[in-house]
Amino acid sequence: MNYLQLYRLIRYNASLKDERHPMFEKNRFMKFLILFMWLYYAAILILFGVTLPLGMKDTYNGVAAFHVLDGFVPYLLIVDFWLRFILQETPVQQVHPYSLLPIRRSFLMNVYLFRTGFSYGNTYWGFLLVPFGMIAVLPLLGWFSLVGWLIGWWLLFIANGFLYLITRTLCLQNLVWVLLPAALNGGLLALMLVPDQNPLDMPFTKMMYGFALGNFLPYLIILLLIGVLFWICYHQQMHMVYNEVGKKEEIEIKNTNQLNFLSRFGILGEFLKLEMKLRLRNKQVRTSFLIALGCMVMLSMLLNFTEAYDNEFMTNFICLYDYAVLGMMTLITIMCFEGNYIDGLMSRRESIYSLLKAKYYISSSLLLIPIILVSPSIMIGKISIWMNLGYLFFTAGVIYPIMFQLAVYNRNTIPLNQKLTAKQASTAQNIISIAILFVPIGIEKICVIILGDIWGFVLLMSIGIIGICTHKLWLQNIYHRFMSRRHYIMEGMRASR
Amino acid sequence: MEINIKELRKTFGEKVAVDIDSLQIQSGEIIGIVGNNGAGKSTLFRLMLDLIKADHGKVFMGDTDVSVTERWKDWTGAFIDDSFLIDYLAPDEYFQFIAKISGVDTIQLEEFIDGFSHFMAGEVTGQKKLIRNLSAGNKQKVGIVSAMLLHPQILILDEPFNFLDPSSQSAIKHLLCKYNKETGATILVSSHNLQHTVDICPRIILLEHGVVRQDIDNSQGQAKQALEEYFQTETE
Repeated sequence: MNYLQLYRLIRYNASLKDERHPMFEKNRFMKFLILFMWLYYAAILILFGVTLPLGMKDTYNGVAAFHVLDGFVPYLLIVDFWLRFILQETPVQQVHPYSLLPIRRSFLMNVYLFRTGFSYGNTYWGFLLVPFGMIAVLPLLGWFSLVGWLIGWWLLFIANGFLYLITRTLCLQNLVWVLLPAALNGGLLALMLVPDQNPLDMPFTKMMYGFALGNFLPYLIILLLIGVLFWICYHQQMHMVYNEVGKKEEIEIKNTNQLNFLSRFGILGEFLKLEMKLRLRNKQVRTSFLIALGCMVMLSMLLNFTEAYDNEFMTNFICLYDYAVLGMMTLITIMCFEGNYIDGLMSRRESIYSLLKAKYYISSSLLLIPIILVSPSIMIGKISIWMNLGYLFFTAGVIYPIMFQLAVYNRNTIPLNQKLTAKQASTAQNIISIAILFVPIGIEKICVIILGDIWGFVLLMSIGIIGICTHKLWLQNIYHRFMSRRHYIMEGMRASR
Repeated sequence: MEINIKELRKTFGEKVAVDIDSLQIQSGEIIGIVGNNGAGKSTLFRLMLDLIKADHGKVFMGDTDVSVTERWKDWTGAFIDDSFLIDYLAPDEYFQFIAKISGVDTIQLEEFIDGFSHFMAGEVTGQKKLIRNLSAGNKQKVGIVSAMLLHPQILILDEPFNFLDPSSQSAIKHLLCKYNKETGATILVSSHNLQHTVDICPRIILLEHGVVRQDIDNSQGQAKQALEEYFQTETE
């Protein structure tokens, strides 16, 4: 088998990875949703690509529209970079299965890095840039420049992809590395401040213009940059492959009596400990939790220290999601991590009920964090105590019970130390994760419109308190429904393990 | 406690995994289940533990239909594979967890664990490692010990000799026989190791494509020849 055939075979195998994932194969709705979203965003980008040049013509006196867009290069690169956290994988896991086959590891790594560079994802922005260029670049500079301009953009996205790989791999080792892309993003934005008088003097505008004119220097710079990033990526990933092959990730337990104060709660206490250890000792669970916590802190900061969102709707919105975000992000995958040891749990009597209770108590206790975080806003009178209490109880008594329903419908196992991609999520997870973003704020609006500010929140609070007081009833109900579907759930969990 | 299997059937697509008209296991028996890969040993155990749904038929432990209530979980211990282990706990934490949720107090637990000290050979308890960082053999030991922790009247172990070193294989054979004698528990063990199965099981059930091909009396160790003949034939 020659290298080209081998390259094609590896590419083919990689393409099967997601397609044949047990959850994806069974999930027609998900296939449809992904296609729909793909087309939807493509259509939006085309729409922007067509309308932006026309709008910019009038707004930016005399400056060609594509110069204006070129000035926004950093923004596009930043958006593109963070989107990759959702959509792009690192090659290390992909190379691993081939490590004992008679294929040179360096060849494999090059294949995967080239796939990263030439992936379709790097051309997706073309839906925006091609129509934009046809309208804004072509009439002014001609076909040659249009092609050069588009190639320039494409090369920037390729460099962005490699930069993502480097930082993503570092983040997998330690979450602190997330500061690196944050700093790089800051640097990019700072470049936009260099001379602000004439848009044509901006570094990125100059560079993109150079691409369009076919100047040698910008191509040389970007190709050199890609080369350097590729070289770093290659060595970093090769190092990671060796780490992965000889992986010996060991957490040394200093004290096996950790959290023993919870023992006083009997069986429930044991499940509380189990739930805490699940969150503390598993990379994927911990990362999801920290991201959710980060969102919570960010929302609180927005509420406390900015005035940009000081209208009634946004204050309500931010306050509600400040309370709800942690539960929404962590409970969406409820029972999915337990899929790894579901047989053990199911061979113990009523263990699932105790587990659900433990999850509820821990999720509810964590609401103390937003209470503390939003307190400055209450003190300065930015949000009322009624709003605060309304959302607190509404979260624990309404949003959580809704999220807990997923325990009956989630039937995919998520590895404790690997990332979940959108393609591996279940239909119910996808529907609820979309619905939960809009439903609570809708309910809140209806209550406040009908009853006014204070009584609207009192109603929310009352509904929440009812939910909290009856938690044993609805948890029992979920447990019984879980048990009646247990074989179906366990079958799915086993298949996706 | 006796186990009754009645008209139990399970298929995966076209493949018949288990098809047993009737099988009775008396209280206090040690039963060996043998068969080639795909014979249905693990599926039978999963059906007995209500971990998969039977297409037809029932499993009774005493008078209890395992698919109807959870009562049988109070007197049944089992270990089939890693999916029984919570691998982000240390072995000691895992034992404590199982003990607490099963109503076993700390003193009882310590006494119980002491009884397995030879089997665990100082490599399982007292370690600061998580279960996921243990070797396959030591994980197997954690699973077996935790299955026996409840002092179950019915003990189900799927291929318990796998991954164990020779000393531990010998130790577990001894432990199972002792446990059976002392408690009168019913024990079901599946294995590919014919010698070990013959050594400890007075009755051996040979499965083939989910069907009980032979129900062999091994009270005098006479099953060895029959099994060797069967598996020899298969090899040829």
